[in-house]
Amino acid sequence: MADEARKKEILEKLRNGVIQYDEDACREGANEALEAGLDANEAIFDGLVSGMEEVGRLFEAQEYFVPEILMCADALYAGLDILKPHCKQMDLGLKGSVVIGTVEGDVHDIGKNLVKMMFDVAGFNVYDLGRDVPLDKFVDEQLKTDSDLVCLSAMMTTSMVGMPTVIEKIKAKNPNCMIMIGGAPTSKDLADKWGADGYAEDASNALKEAIKMVAFLKKLRDEKAAK
Amino acid sequence: MNSRERVLKVFRKEAVDRVPCFSGMGNITETGINQLGYKFAGIHLDAKQMAETAATSYKLFGYECGVVPVDLCVEAEAMGCVINVYPQAEGILYPTIKEKLIHNEAEMDTIKLPEGFSEKGRIPLMRTAIGLLKADIGNDVVVGSYVLGPFTLAGQIMELNDLLKLSFKKADKVAKLLDLCADAIILTAKEYEKAGVDFITVREMGATSDVLSPRVFKSLILPPLQKVMKAISVYSVLHICGKTNDIVTSMMEAGPTAISVEQKNDVAESRKKLGPDAIIFGNMDAYNVLVSGSEEVVRQAVRKCIDDGVSGVWPGCDIWPTVPPQNMKAMMEETISYGGKK
Repeated sequence: MADEARKKEILEKLRNGVIQYDEDACREGANEALEAGLDANEAIFDGLVSGMEEVGRLFEAQEYFVPEILMCADALYAGLDILKPHCKQMDLGLKGSVVIGTVEGDVHDIGKNLVKMMFDVAGFNVYDLGRDVPLDKFVDEQLKTDSDLVCLSAMMTTSMVGMPTVIEKIKAKNPNCMIMIGGAPTSKDLADKWGADGYAEDASNALKEAIKMVAFLKKLRDEKAAK
Repeated sequence: MNSRERVLKVFRKEAVDRVPCFSGMGNITETGINQLGYKFAGIHLDAKQMAETAATSYKLFGYECGVVPVDLCVEAEAMGCVINVYPQAEGILYPTIKEKLIHNEAEMDTIKLPEGFSEKGRIPLMRTAIGLLKADIGNDVVVGSYVLGPFTLAGQIMELNDLLKLSFKKADKVAKLLDLCADAIILTAKEYEKAGVDFITVREMGATSDVLSPRVFKSLILPPLQKVMKAISVYSVLHICGKTNDIVTSMMEAGPTAISVEQKNDVAESRKKLGPDAIIFGNMDAYNVLVSGSEEVVRQAVRKCIDDGVSGVWPGCDIWPTVPPQNMKAMMEETISYGGKK
């Protein structure tokens, strides 16, 4: 077991690597974490995700903008790719699978990819349908995978209006499935009106929402560890 | 004074009886399309259908302009991208780019504009559509067209994800690509001018402060925008969606005749910053108010725009075609009755 000082140093390295969009530092930090015998889940959550939380804060404070977030995400993935194979299966009593995609008529997928990243981090099974996805495909994929969450993304008003159709169809077939909508033109009012369970209006918000979910998982994990 | 004279006077900064209600962006409605018996997917590929549809918002509601095209893919298509108009779609789906031109960083250096650019893609069709639209309603209202801004166009011909990261990591390379995009936009705008448009809106939606910092806007986005604006000889409008409060002065520095902003802009504040002479169009919420709101909400929004000091009541984005006809009427009526009081 790594001593506390070394552990702290490695977690800092991972955290700062994400914040400073330094892919090499994240890769190094991840390898060091494994060599030092750190728990991979801990390195992910207390290192990489903790860094991403700070990135979300910097975005809100308008210190960072979308290009920086994208580079931070690359750094996070650089570390995650190394750590993930060493993660013990988290038994959280959650099935943890999600269908995600950008709706038909829209080819923007940055927000979608950021949310996807947080689900990747959380160890979800992610069924990424990509972008410009025909509406029925969301419905079919949800049925096929029995996922408990569907995330619909749209960047433009002109494509967002397909969302209520998908929500209605999924809820009709599977009322327990949670649906999150996201993208610049969406709003809480629209989410309520269309019967979605959550929404995120921009990358920061999407990130925050996804972080909230991941933070919730982390809390469960900590509680479990405490027992 | 008729609508056309009113809008032209606004562009010339001359006194008008009231603010006009128009825009330089898409404004066709399902009411208009259905009346003609056309399908949305068809109007992008047929000059006659496009022009006839574009005239309906004036003919049905008195909206004070006619604007073509309806989609955002004309320049990228002329540069060589393949587009998808979703021919089988039942509802309304706007065309998108199916195939990018640039697939990796190296291709950014080798890309060139095709020879005979002004005859590529739908540019000839656009010239015809503008001509038809002008012949139909051009004496009554202004006829406008729009092009993309260089950064937004670059985001169509390559992965936006890569473009954004490279704007940070390799700004010089991106600047070179934006300059090429500016050339494509200028060639397109020149064809629209030849066809007789009264004004051109440059839509640089990708460079909103939701995405890029005001600092990067100044260093990277502004120079090619200035190049485009300088080359346009008719009246020009620079439109950016999303957050724009911190870049309205930079938008003016780009050199357009007017700027256009959406509902996230605090127009009263922008008016203070830019002074009484600046032409600011906006900032009607084109979906949450115009499509989803009641008539009364629409009327309130119109009054708020006018009270805040817009030079023209102008939806901040393409009007979504399912807009209820009574809301279009309410927007026009309120502009006419309230627009002269300020």
